[in-house]
Amino acid sequence: MNRRDFVKQSALASSLWFVPNFVKAFEHVAKNTLGVKKLVIIQLSGGNDGLNTIVPYTNDVYYKKRPQISIGRNNLIKINDELGFNINLAPLKNLFDQGYLTIINNVGYPNPNRSHFRSTDIWHTASDPKEYLNTGWLGRYIELFGKMPYAGIELDDSLSLIMKGEHINGIATKNPKILYGNTHTPYFKKILNYQTDDHLSEHNLGYLYKTMIEAKSSANYIYETSKTYKSKFSYPDNPFAGQLKTTAEFINSNLKTSVYYISMGGFDTHANQSNRQSRLLRTYSESIEVFIKELKENDTFKDTLILTFSEFGRRVKQNAASGTDHGAANNVFLIGENLKTQGFYNESPNLLRLDDNGDLIYTVDFRSIYATILDQWLNVKDSAILNRKFSKLDLFT
Amino acid sequence: MRAGFGIGLNALNNLKSMSKTKIINAMFSASENPIPIQLDLSEFESVVQMNTTGRNNSDLKNTQELLKKSRIKIRDLNYTWIERLCTTDAILNEKMTLFWANVFVCRDNNILHFQQYNNTLRKHALGNFKDFIKAIAKEPSMSKYLNNRQNIKESPNENFARELMELFTLGIGNYTEQDIKEAARAFTGWSFKPNGDFFLRKVKHDFEKKTFFGKSGHFDGDDVIDIILEQKQCARFICGKIYTYFVNPEIDAKRLEELTDYFYQDYNIKALMHYIFSSDWFYEAKNVGVKIKSPMELLVGINTIISMSFVNKKQLFYLQKMMGQVLLYPVNVAGWRGDKSWIDSNTLMFRMKLPSLLLNNAQINLKEKGEFEDTFTNYYKQKGKNRFFKVNSDWDAFNKQYGKLRPAELKRLLLVASTDQDTEALVSNLLVRSNRDFCIQLMSLPEYQLC
Repeated sequence: MNRRDFVKQSALASSLWFVPNFVKAFEHVAKNTLGVKKLVIIQLSGGNDGLNTIVPYTNDVYYKKRPQISIGRNNLIKINDELGFNINLAPLKNLFDQGYLTIINNVGYPNPNRSHFRSTDIWHTASDPKEYLNTGWLGRYIELFGKMPYAGIELDDSLSLIMKGEHINGIATKNPKILYGNTHTPYFKKILNYQTDDHLSEHNLGYLYKTMIEAKSSANYIYETSKTYKSKFSYPDNPFAGQLKTTAEFINSNLKTSVYYISMGGFDTHANQSNRQSRLLRTYSESIEVFIKELKENDTFKDTLILTFSEFGRRVKQNAASGTDHGAANNVFLIGENLKTQGFYNESPNLLRLDDNGDLIYTVDFRSIYATILDQWLNVKDSAILNRKFSKLDLFT
Repeated sequence: MRAGFGIGLNALNNLKSMSKTKIINAMFSASENPIPIQLDLSEFESVVQMNTTGRNNSDLKNTQELLKKSRIKIRDLNYTWIERLCTTDAILNEKMTLFWANVFVCRDNNILHFQQYNNTLRKHALGNFKDFIKAIAKEPSMSKYLNNRQNIKESPNENFARELMELFTLGIGNYTEQDIKEAARAFTGWSFKPNGDFFLRKVKHDFEKKTFFGKSGHFDGDDVIDIILEQKQCARFICGKIYTYFVNPEIDAKRLEELTDYFYQDYNIKALMHYIFSSDWFYEAKNVGVKIKSPMELLVGINTIISMSFVNKKQLFYLQKMMGQVLLYPVNVAGWRGDKSWIDSNTLMFRMKLPSLLLNNAQINLKEKGEFEDTFTNYYKQKGKNRFFKVNSDWDAFNKQYGKLRPAELKRLLLVASTDQDTEALVSNLLVRSNRDFCIQLMSLPEYQLC
């Protein structure tokens, strides 16, 4: 190393000790503005067949329209005179028995769209079906109330629309260590260490620097905090369970994140549905069971609400390939300790009154559920996030 | 930079001795006769041929098989399009094609139709806007995407008519619901043959009188488009899109009116672009290096400096997914919003790491999202954990062109955004072992994200 190199190196080395004030300022912003309540949203991606999930086992129409794929009345877990759980949802039945489950039937929106992409957008943005929004409802929540990316975490490696705000977004990670590593490369640090706050006032360049700082400090916060709690529970060996396990570690390490989003794939069952859906529902319910056990053990279940939805339900009539095609209204699950209506919130699906495509017609707008959760669970002004008022449901004690 | 995807040193040196007018003229003449993309689609063409000659060979299984093959071909079209962006001489035309693909947003599984659609964008990219929009309205891919095929006089489907005005020509709020209803009637019966040719199903077309924007007549779709273009708002709407894409994401109202007046005369896209590039204000500092590059601009821009070829094309798809812009797979009919919306914590980290991923063998430790149609296993599949990019980068060519440049010269070439004293200090303190390393370092700066 010659002298010139030495001077350069030491200049760099010394600058590493120096944390610019503006970075510090960012890192100390607003860690206490969010309440203690957590919301975990699970999307059964691809469109789960709600009618074979919660089965209308006394309805002749159901058996007539699904000669090959209907579920026999002796092969399910009966809940009342009309409906029964798919047998693979036994763990969910336990939650039901303990009063931790509300099932809302017939959830959807007017003029249902049957494209996965579009319908997922509608659920993610809480838009009208004819409206294209560029921000997600959780993203807007993060932007208005959380202020920092870690306020909302998607358990994945890239961010979905649901988590995107206008200028502040949630952050995606299923492994905080990798996230930390990617935001704390020597070069990344070096860049930030040279910056004073001049850049932040600049239009787009300022936005890039600000995003960099937020990413770095959120990654740091998530990693340092979450490593203080390691799960000792034995989850089923599948990636969805892994996402839930990481979520449990986040929640139980007391991370100030208030909304989580997980997408579980595989529900687009156009062909040979029965076996596929059985496996999926078992995976879902067994993983959820351990997740809740772990939250209860740590006394965090009382502050956690889990919402499970699908971008649409499936057609009442089965198709020629022993599967089902894209449909409309569907059931939504809420899991938590503070539910007012334990069991079924509303009426069973009406299989005699279908729309022109032969799909279930919605009676509950999904945005009413969002509005109720925002208002009564997260305790924020729902119309500020949903851009208008929706009638509320009576969900919580 | 904003007219293309950055410029290499040799090309820049060639331009140095030329006047601005000459450079602009050279750019336009290179874009004069756009070459369509033509994949080998003989298999699909022969099926269309068979169907139209009456031999029915398409049972369900074959149809599904063909659809699957078609989907794979659309990925090929994606790769071929990117390759085109990287290698074309008709840079402006290709950049315009990319621009229009995000105005006339469309998606299709039928490769014959979709390749034709893509080439229609290419053909009219610098042509006349009126011809362009009329051609788009007759494209089978568009007809399917916005349900115009289902638009028949007995029960008009308004989807195409609505998006035509809301997203393609006027912008929301510049027409009435009644205008949409009347326009939808004018487009009834517009359909296409399997080979992609337009044809009018006369029995499904509404030949009755319509009233649209205060005019009455037995209008068809072309008439409706003529009337839309009579609205100056149409010129304003398109100029606004061009301004935010090519000039500055923040619109200067005075400039926009200037462009609108100019474009409204004859809707000549080429003349409009010529006007913009010839103006002085296009080159003002406040308009340079202020837009956030799209993932495609970023990727193709890197390639302009260091020529790359992907050994594993799937990795090219992976990159697009991770950065949120997969060509031919727009998120919805409104298209990509661009600029700031490309950026969140995850995409920014990925974009800044991209040069070292591609050029320096950094390890891929993130996975792209699964597809809606995937099975559970495929949805979560880690396609080769701890992978590396298999990219052949032509460093010899790079060294020949850039090897002898001084750091400051390389920096000026790569960073169009202004660098303040902090960044200057950082750059001047970087340890420059080779111009290769230095190039990767410069490309990993936030400033490189701007164009």
